Amino acid sequence: MSSSILHTEKLCKTFSNGGVQQHVIKNLDIDIREKEFTVIMGSSGSGKSTLLYALSGMDKPTLGKVFFGNEDISQYSNDELAVFRRKNCGFVFQSIYLLENMTVFDNVMTGALVVQKNSAELVKKAEELLKKVGINEEIWKKYPNQLSGGESQRVGIVRAVINDPKILFADEPTGSLNSASSCDVLDIFTDLHKKGQSIVLVTHDLKTALRGNRVIFISDGSVAGEYEMLPYGTDDIRKRRDGLQDFLDRMGW
Amino acid sequence: MTEMNKIVRLSVFNIKKHKLEAFSLTILIMFCMTLIGSALSSGKSIKTIFPYVMKKTESYENYLMIYEKNFDNDFMDIINEDERITGSEHSNFLYDMSTKYLDSNGDEKALYMGFITKDNEEKLERFRYRSSLSEEKIASLRHPIYMPFIAENELSVKEGDTFSMVYGTRKFDFEVAGFYNTLFLSNSSMGMKFVVTDSDYVVLESILNKYELIAFNSVKGSDNADIFDSCIKRCEEYSQRDLMSGLMGMTYEGFRENTTATTKILLGLLIVMAVVIIISVAVMIRFRIAGDIKEQIVSIGVLEALGYKSREITLSYVIEYLMIAVAGVTIGVAGCFVLSPALFSLGEMMSGYQGRDRIFIAPILLSAVGLLALIALIAYIRASMVKKYPPVQAFRKGIGTNHFRKDHLPLRKTKKNVHIRLAMKGFAQNFKQSIGLTLCITLSSIAIVLSFILYSFMGKDMNVIAANSGIEMSDLRVTFMNSADTKDLYDEITEMPEVRKVLMTSDAENFVTYADHNQIMLPVAFDDFSETENIFPFEGRFPEHDNEVMFTSMWASEYKLKVGDTVTIEYNKVQRKYIISGIVTCLTNGGMNLYITDAGYKRLVPTYHHNTMEIYLKDGTDATDFKNMLTQKYGRSVADVKQDADSSAPYEERIKAAAEKKIAELMSVYGVDHVEYAIQSGDKMITGNSSGFRIRSVQNIGDIMRTQLSGLCSAVSIITKIFMFISALVVMVILFILMESSVRKQRKEFGIMKGMGYTSKELMFQLAARIMPAALFSVISGTVVSVLSTNSLTSFIGKVEVNIPSLIVLDICLLAFCFGCAYLGARKIKKISVYELMTE
Repeated sequence: MSSSILHTEKLCKTFSNGGVQQHVIKNLDIDIREKEFTVIMGSSGSGKSTLLYALSGMDKPTLGKVFFGNEDISQYSNDELAVFRRKNCGFVFQSIYLLENMTVFDNVMTGALVVQKNSAELVKKAEELLKKVGINEEIWKKYPNQLSGGESQRVGIVRAVINDPKILFADEPTGSLNSASSCDVLDIFTDLHKKGQSIVLVTHDLKTALRGNRVIFISDGSVAGEYEMLPYGTDDIRKRRDGLQDFLDRMGW
Repeated sequence: MTEMNKIVRLSVFNIKKHKLEAFSLTILIMFCMTLIGSALSSGKSIKTIFPYVMKKTESYENYLMIYEKNFDNDFMDIINEDERITGSEHSNFLYDMSTKYLDSNGDEKALYMGFITKDNEEKLERFRYRSSLSEEKIASLRHPIYMPFIAENELSVKEGDTFSMVYGTRKFDFEVAGFYNTLFLSNSSMGMKFVVTDSDYVVLESILNKYELIAFNSVKGSDNADIFDSCIKRCEEYSQRDLMSGLMGMTYEGFRENTTATTKILLGLLIVMAVVIIISVAVMIRFRIAGDIKEQIVSIGVLEALGYKSREITLSYVIEYLMIAVAGVTIGVAGCFVLSPALFSLGEMMSGYQGRDRIFIAPILLSAVGLLALIALIAYIRASMVKKYPPVQAFRKGIGTNHFRKDHLPLRKTKKNVHIRLAMKGFAQNFKQSIGLTLCITLSSIAIVLSFILYSFMGKDMNVIAANSGIEMSDLRVTFMNSADTKDLYDEITEMPEVRKVLMTSDAENFVTYADHNQIMLPVAFDDFSETENIFPFEGRFPEHDNEVMFTSMWASEYKLKVGDTVTIEYNKVQRKYIISGIVTCLTNGGMNLYITDAGYKRLVPTYHHNTMEIYLKDGTDATDFKNMLTQKYGRSVADVKQDADSSAPYEERIKAAAEKKIAELMSVYGVDHVEYAIQSGDKMITGNSSGFRIRSVQNIGDIMRTQLSGLCSAVSIITKIFMFISALVVMVILFILMESSVRKQRKEFGIMKGMGYTSKELMFQLAARIMPAALFSVISGTVVSVLSTNSLTSFIGKVEVNIPSLIVLDICLLAFCFGCAYLGARKIKKISVYELMTE
């Protein structure tokens, strides 16, 4: 079993809305292991995205601790968290969130230059990665609103991985894509995982979840169950789907 | 809900949403309104001061002052022969330039003073005084004195206070009985005219210079300067005397112009400041509306889809800014009622007259209406861009407007700091917005730099002014009797261990005339001007030959003279032509100095000889001690001896003192060179002569200049400080609003970047650095414009020296200030929560 890269201790997240307190995550202990493709699933409103953002340092927990290695990041200030994110994390969002006033290439470089200083090497790396995900040179100078959803998400993935993050977080990365584009994007994730990238992905889509090798099911702010699979492509896809479906059925999904 | 109600609700909603920006705009509009309204209103009220004083005092309009020894009663007949003169009067009058007073700390301060009796004052103008003392109390005062109104502030005295006049080593105490309006000699520049009792007048008469004050009225529209000139010429012809010595006069036009001259400049500067603010407000409104429309474009599309017309949305913006403007203008109008009286008081202080404070409402209301109309128009023109976005296009965020543009500063070429690169990229992308910002900061920079230059020059301390006073500021100016051998004295004084340098010149009592324009001028003569320490030509060079002179910048500008022009100078009907070799900055004596070499002066006045020494003492030498030593060594000065003898002294001493007093009077008033006396007292003969009187007067020019310029300096100091403060405030508010709008507009972008790992501080730095190219350009261009325009704006005082290193420091401070404001203005980036943005 791989070593732990991220774990929580009694993680709680509470939102207050008009004086009413809503406990979205309750005393949650979770362990994310290195080089694993962890998929977080759960019904709508179960707290899976909230958990993702708490794990990634995008948001601070109300109570409890989040450890990255041995470091407790839950006590970090906002700026310390930002530095933590740029050094260790990559993000892929459902809404993609490319910077609209920048070209495709600049979007990638903006993420890279905040960490790395060698511009020439970065340019080369960005070009290689963009080409690898099928974003050809003629697209590099385009602006986000000139791209298709699939193209945008592939750019988003390149931006997320250009700094070789220790862990890649993805929140419904195929949520706004058509099935063809979804497949392309998921292939990229599978490829990244094969190369040893640790990934934490939130989804409610079975097809997407099948790409992972570990599924954590969240229900009502707590871990309801876990299911482990072989890495994608190393087993029979039908058996894999049935097994996951059984697990999810048991979880009441 | 009526249509208008809907629009107003929309406007109120927008104001509530951007409270801080609305508040900042309100403040700027308030300043603008206060400045314009007050400047126009007080400008009008200050104009009433002079007519009010004329009406209240019923004074004669023109005044001429000549030595009593030169006056002849027949002069009045000669003057009245001029058919342009409708009435005239004359009176005895005392005036002296060696007088001082004790200030509240007991320190001696130089002040030219004139004295007149109540009856004589009544002959020239209606004597109406204001006093908090009762008539009984005034009657009980032993030495009552009535002072011009300005004295209350300038000399810091009030009714009942003791006012100590110092002449030489003697002190005369008066009790302030009241204050009055007087046309002639109403301020510290030319001196103040005090009304004293007959008995006190008699005492003063024995020590001060006696003059005859001639006053006359003329037919409306007459050229009073010409009347002056012709009367003096005819009187000179009649008496065969040189009347120019000690002559001083002021025409009706001169009095009127003096009342408003300085305040006009200050009020003009206030209006310039207000214009700077209104341009900034206009730029900000345009920027804010454009930003708001872009930010709210989807909401605008929804509103349009719901049935709002684009005209209604446009109108909602107009009403939003009108509401802000009404708030600002209302507070600004209230501000006018505070600032206008203050400016009026300043006008009174500068003119020396007390007028009737009155706030003119019409200019304030007109300014208010104009300001509201302007803001509504600006808002309307900018908000009309809503028409360009029908609902569907608005839903698409106005597609087609943004995305087919040039990729400025691509990041692949980043060499060093990504934050600076991103900031410059942001600057290039928002270039249009930067133009408006550049305009605002440039205008504010001009105001700040100009104010700083003026403040450094005039407001900060007197040292810089000393360098531009146009008169030699030695430690002591000693005028010797005509009979004294100045060559021997020069040698002796130069050898004294306390003395650093001695320059020979002449006293400043023989006026000459610039014949081409009948302008009286005061010659300042030195053998070698390069030896002087406070006289600098800012154009041309010092006069070196006997046919060269220098003019002050004031007269050069008045008569459009330049270096190389030929002028005719006249003295006692002798005319000589001179070439102007240089132009000098001169802040004193009303700019009437004529700089001429000794040789050049002798061409005009063959009898000219040195009778004055400018003595420069070594560091650490006390000027008063040195003066006492001089008077001990060379006899008491005539100014000192012209005082009453001590009544308790022995009889023989009192006789000698009385004789010396008479000698002093003969020498100083009548120009007698040598006197010998012998008095039989019983069987004793008391004898003496004037050989001990070698010093005529000792003056500290620095003191006089400080008194002459202190009012102007303090006014300039106050105004320039206000200007710098308001300009800095304008820059601050603009940058705060700009940054807040930018943060709001780019909230999503900053959220994404935070998600990528950019810290709030880095993003704040990027946003602040984005304005720096505009700020740098603005500050530099503002400084260049200010420096280039300084001398044309201040031509009334001559060349203003600009200290370039201090301006560089100021520019660096301004840039740091801009960056600091922008950085703080961008602080709302801290509040952007990545999580909230992602889950919206």
